Amino acid sequence: MKVAMIGWEYPPFKVGGLGTHCYGLTRSLADRGVSIDFYMPKTNRDSITSDKPNLVIKPVGETTVFPYDHPDDKALEGQFFEAVYKYNDLCVQKIQGDYDLIHCHDWLTMKAGVLLKEKMGVPLVVTVHSTEYDRSAWLFPNEWFINIEREGMEKADRIITVSHFTKRILVERYGINPDKIRVVHNAVYPIGEGEKQRIVLFLGRLTIQKGPEFFLKAAKKVLEKEDCRFVIAGDGDMLPRLINQAIKLGISNKVIFTGLLTEDEVKHIYRISSVYVMPSVSEPFGITALEAISAGTPTIVSKTTGVSEAFHNCLKVDFWDVDEMANKIIALLRYDPLRRTLANEAKREIKLFTWDRVADKTLSVYREVA
Amino acid sequence: MPSVCFYFEVHQPVRLKRFSVFNIGHDNNAFLTYFNHDLNREIFEKVAKKCYLPANQMLLDLINKYDGRFRVSFSLTGTFVECCEQFMPAVLDSFKELFRTGAVDLIEETYFHSLSSLYDELDEFEEQVIMHRHMIKKIFNYRPMVFRNTEAIYDNRIAKKIEEMGYKGIITEGTEKILGWRSPNYLYKPVNADIKVLLRNYTLSDDIGFRFSAQSWPGFPLTASKYAHWMSKCQGDLINVFIDYETFGEHQWTETGIFDFLKHLPEEVLKHKNLDFVTVSEAVNRYKSVGEIDVPWAISWADEARDVSTWLGNEMQITCFNELKDIGKKLKKLGDRELLYVWRLLQTSDHLYYISTKGAGDGDVHAYFNPYDFPYEGFINYMNIIQDLKEKITQQERETQLIS
Repeated sequence: MKVAMIGWEYPPFKVGGLGTHCYGLTRSLADRGVSIDFYMPKTNRDSITSDKPNLVIKPVGETTVFPYDHPDDKALEGQFFEAVYKYNDLCVQKIQGDYDLIHCHDWLTMKAGVLLKEKMGVPLVVTVHSTEYDRSAWLFPNEWFINIEREGMEKADRIITVSHFTKRILVERYGINPDKIRVVHNAVYPIGEGEKQRIVLFLGRLTIQKGPEFFLKAAKKVLEKEDCRFVIAGDGDMLPRLINQAIKLGISNKVIFTGLLTEDEVKHIYRISSVYVMPSVSEPFGITALEAISAGTPTIVSKTTGVSEAFHNCLKVDFWDVDEMANKIIALLRYDPLRRTLANEAKREIKLFTWDRVADKTLSVYREVA
Repeated sequence: MPSVCFYFEVHQPVRLKRFSVFNIGHDNNAFLTYFNHDLNREIFEKVAKKCYLPANQMLLDLINKYDGRFRVSFSLTGTFVECCEQFMPAVLDSFKELFRTGAVDLIEETYFHSLSSLYDELDEFEEQVIMHRHMIKKIFNYRPMVFRNTEAIYDNRIAKKIEEMGYKGIITEGTEKILGWRSPNYLYKPVNADIKVLLRNYTLSDDIGFRFSAQSWPGFPLTASKYAHWMSKCQGDLINVFIDYETFGEHQWTETGIFDFLKHLPEEVLKHKNLDFVTVSEAVNRYKSVGEIDVPWAISWADEARDVSTWLGNEMQITCFNELKDIGKKLKKLGDRELLYVWRLLQTSDHLYYISTKGAGDGDVHAYFNPYDFPYEGFINYMNIIQDLKEKITQQERETQLIS
């Protein structure tokens, strides 16, 4: 089987779950004998190569990878949309060959997917890693994105969502027929454990979707009872606001903002943290939770995430319930047996979350249409 | 000729309120802040309507209809009886009425359905058994002869203690772990004590308790005549069918036909000339023990493992168990009756059961009974409460020291 996969980011150039997913998926699919041409925007750094003969990375055009959520800077925002458009146009022009199907990811690549399906007459599979509702935290979802997403979903022969949580959004908000949606939960390459310090970690883009302000409110409550440090790792439009919030709460001496971390730094901070919190308002999956768990870090996730439906051995809270979030953080800091039991049970469970499993399930979706 | 011995466990725990770390040290009234009396009432009323009242009525009718030839035994935990008294005295009245027929026997156990039999010393266990004895005496004017520990937890040490306390029989699980090739359908004697052991026939018991409505089970649908036929083919003196009373109408809903099954059971059993019904005391009086059992490590009738891993299977459970156990000495020295009572209510084994992390088959059963979504939630809540109780004790100790 030969697949043209249209992506947006690919490690080491990535900002979110889409890039991580494409990396794990393409490599495991290649191991299963699927030939994949992976198309992605050309970067201004060294080109990416693959060590597998049947997985070929093909940069398209001259655009640079941007963060795939809304950039804060208005000028950049215009450039960003332009770059997305240009990339999609170039894909349609350049991609040709004897493919059995087209597989694209999120709104960033949906236009190209739809046009190529028509041009080449082959089936289209679309994976939805996030919707406009998630990215906007359901506050002011932008119709412009929603329309692109809906068109891609409607034209697709099969849709893969990373959770039932997202599948419900597609059915209820986009009016998509549930019969053509398949749920494939994400996976993780294990990070490995390290020496723990009294650190409570938030890691992710600092946007309204990820709920960092709830993390800070919980931190304030925790610090009334326990001494520990809170680390906020990542960058995003909310950074200045969050720094101000920490100062106003009087906890700025206990909160560390790291900015964007390198891949090695990310692994290190996962390893040394005692608690990882993912307080997302709306998260289709949340691979970072699996990453933290794979580093032996007990994890608290909000109930409005895909990972909370898929993974049992973590603690779950409502993102807005900062009292309960603080209760659980303190319990993890205070009660060693809880921390150890959770880490041990989670270690057993996380072995099920492999990219090989994702590839198997994706392959069976391919076989339904091609 | 085997006798059929039906025995029903009747129990309700006093469930806990949500108790966060921020509640620790905030309220003086432990009884009101720890226990969720509204939830308890709600569950009790539901179960009373679906199970206790209709099942008791049916048993009463059957006993009268067969003129006492249909006989059963019950164990009522102290926490259950307190629920009756608080929420629905009519339920307790219906048990009294059953007992007055003379065809119903009562079984002793710890008042709080606790794991106190596993403590380093058995003084707390003995006190809780005596509390239960007083309660049965007060309500039924009766002194039970047969003892059943919480979820049939049993080992040589417990058997010895029960002999010392004057009981003639003790109930536990008829597991191969202690029997080997031998049949559970006889009485046995503990290797170190001169009392009789009644062993639960888990196959026939679980046919009703677990498999009754399982359509994939070859025995489905289970009718009273089929079941009586199976029993008539059994070898031995005694068939012990020991099940949770909530099987009737709660675990197995009315729609499954469980009440019809019960209704026809005496008739179908008594059709067989070789079968009759006995209570646990009658069984112990009538039959001799045929061999010894030696149980150095505790067994129970819970889960596949048939040991105490249901309550002490992970580190969270062991921590709570130990912390709670260790409070005892201080509390008794302090002599605060209310805190002592609260401490004992917290010993009810259900609180540890909710924290089990067992997966697969057992996990499903655990999930069914669990008020928490996850064992971790159960641990945090229970542990927070234990910490609060410890603080209350420390505070009282300080106050008594100041006075003296």
